[in-house]
Amino acid sequence: MSQKINLKTNLMDKRILDRLQDGIPLVPNPWKEIADDLNISQKILLKRIAFLKKKGIIRRISATFNPQRLGFVSTLVAVKVSPDNIKRIVNKINRYHDVTHNYKRDSDYNVWFTIVAVNRARIDQIIEKLGEDEGVDKISELPAKKMFKINVNFKLSK
Amino acid sequence: MISELDKKIISIISGDLQLIDQPFQRIASKVGISEQKLLGLIRSYRQDGTMRKFSAVLNHRKVGFKYNAMAVWNIPEDLAEKAGDLISASSYVSHCYLRARTEDWNYNLYAMIHGKTKIECLREAERLAVEIGFFDYKVLFSTQEFKKIGVRY
Repeated sequence: MSQKINLKTNLMDKRILDRLQDGIPLVPNPWKEIADDLNISQKILLKRIAFLKKKGIIRRISATFNPQRLGFVSTLVAVKVSPDNIKRIVNKINRYHDVTHNYKRDSDYNVWFTIVAVNRARIDQIIEKLGEDEGVDKISELPAKKMFKINVNFKLSK
Repeated sequence: MISELDKKIISIISGDLQLIDQPFQRIASKVGISEQKLLGLIRSYRQDGTMRKFSAVLNHRKVGFKYNAMAVWNIPEDLAEKAGDLISASSYVSHCYLRARTEDWNYNLYAMIHGKTKIECLREAERLAVEIGFFDYKVLFSTQEFKKIGVRY
C-alpha cells in the first residue's frame, strides 16, 4: 500500500518539510525556533514531524558530512549484471555497510552503487570481490575528480 | 584534526536528532561536555566544511519527486569547470560531479536530476545540454532503489 499522503491538501506539512530541509538551527531548542518561524506551536510541529517520519516522508533529521574531511574515501561503481543474477548480486552489494546507495538503472551498466569507506584498500577489496562473482559481467569504478554541487533540497510549498 | 570527542559527536549527529525540548543537551551529556560547547563544536564543523548541513533528509519519491535521473555527458575536460557550474545552477540538480572515464564508458560529467515526471527530467537534461553546448549525453533513470542509507561514521 502506498504510504503517500496528499501533500496538496496539507500546506503546513510542506512548509515544515521546506523549513527542515533548510537546516536545523544550532541552538538549545531548535524545535521552538522552527515552530516560531512557521507560526505554529512546538507541540504541533513535533506531532507533524513524528507523523511525517512514521510515513517515511522524513528519513531522518541529521548532520551530513563531507566524507573526505573525515578521512573517508568515496566512489561510484557501475556493474553489468545479467537479469537473472541481479537479485543475488544486489543482495551481495547491499550487505557491505560501506555501500550507501544502490540503484538499478536502465542501461548496459544496470547496477550503480556508491561506497563511502575508511580507506582506499577497502574500496579495492569490495570491487575486486564483486568482480570475481561469475554473475558480474563487467565492473567499472568511476571515481570523482571534482565535485561541483551537492545539495539535496526539494522545495515543496511554493 | 579530528579528536576522539569529535568522532563521538559526529557519530551521534549523523543519526536522527531526537524530537525533545533540548536535543543537543541530551547529546552533550552523553559525550560529557556542556550544551554550549557542543553547539560551538557543531558550528565549527559547519564553518570548516566538515559538516555540509544539518537538516531533514526526505524520501524524494514520497514528496512527489518520483523520478531520479542520472544524466551523463561526454565533454572535454578543460571545459568541465564551466559546464559544471552551469549545471549546478539548476534547481533540479542535487549532485554534479566530474568523474573519470573508463574504456567502455566515455562520459565524465554527471548530474542527478530529480523531477515529478520522466518528461520533466528529460526536458531538464536537454535544457542543460543546450546550455553547456554538448549533446553527447545519456539519461539513466533509476528503475529501482535497492539501498539508500545515510553514512554512519
